Amino acid sequence: MAVQGKEQILEYASKRKQLCSDIKAMIVEQLCLDMDPEFLTDDQPLFGRGLELDSIDSLELSVGVFNKWQISLSDDDNRAFSSVNALADFIQANAEGDGGEASEAADLSGGMDLG
Amino acid sequence: MKANIDCSVILKMLPHRYPFLLIDKVTEIEPGVSAVGIKNVTINEPYFQGHFPGEPIVPGVLLLESLAQLTAVMYGAEALPAGTDWGKISAADFEGLDLAGSVGYLAEIRNVKFMSLVKPGDTLELHAKKGASMGNLMQIRVFARVGNKNVVEGTLTVSQGR
Repeated sequence: MAVQGKEQILEYASKRKQLCSDIKAMIVEQLCLDMDPEFLTDDQPLFGRGLELDSIDSLELSVGVFNKWQISLSDDDNRAFSSVNALADFIQANAEGDGGEASEAADLSGGMDLG
Repeated sequence: MKANIDCSVILKMLPHRYPFLLIDKVTEIEPGVSAVGIKNVTINEPYFQGHFPGEPIVPGVLLLESLAQLTAVMYGAEALPAGTDWGKISAADFEGLDLAGSVGYLAEIRNVKFMSLVKPGDTLELHAKKGASMGNLMQIRVFARVGNKNVVEGTLTVSQGR
């Protein structure tokens, strides 16, 4: 990623923070969860322990991602649901006109398995 | 595509039997994508004994079951070759196939609304259309109407195959 100046770093960070907030709001709304979106943390596992989501929820989330960001997830993209951060990486990597920018970040955070 | 899937064919595609085969025929089908079917409600339905004495009303869950059975026909149809003429289908075309043995299960029901009572004499026109899918799970947008009035609508999630 071509981040150089301090301003650029700050701008990237605030965009990323906004994206994570949007993702949390989407998760809570799409799954009709009875909780405050900000109660979710960025790295908390969504499946298994953590939020305890299941495969039916992952289908709901893929619908939510498509409705909000027009990005389709395939069966192979399941890892994107491992945490809010992983999903933010996925959305950044696949966002239109933004292609590739976040792919390094996605690689760095790799290795997380669904619980 | 117009289809003429009668009950003899449906019996080959679904494991359901009396008193739980809740779809009479399928009139339109795009295998794996969408389908339209018919369920005629008569006063002879066994559940009217108790639901309710003196006031026969089709239970809402059975409306959903009819729609789920239409969904099973819709994706079971994918097992036949692409060029199959569903207007001329017969039970003999299912020789050697075990579609009824591989019907999936309901996994989730969402956003269901029951808008109107369904009573003996009503003809239910059932509609199913595929939505998102992931892994072996598939979302189906469903609704049913009597005449031109919707009586139930919602979203089913089903698993494909056992």
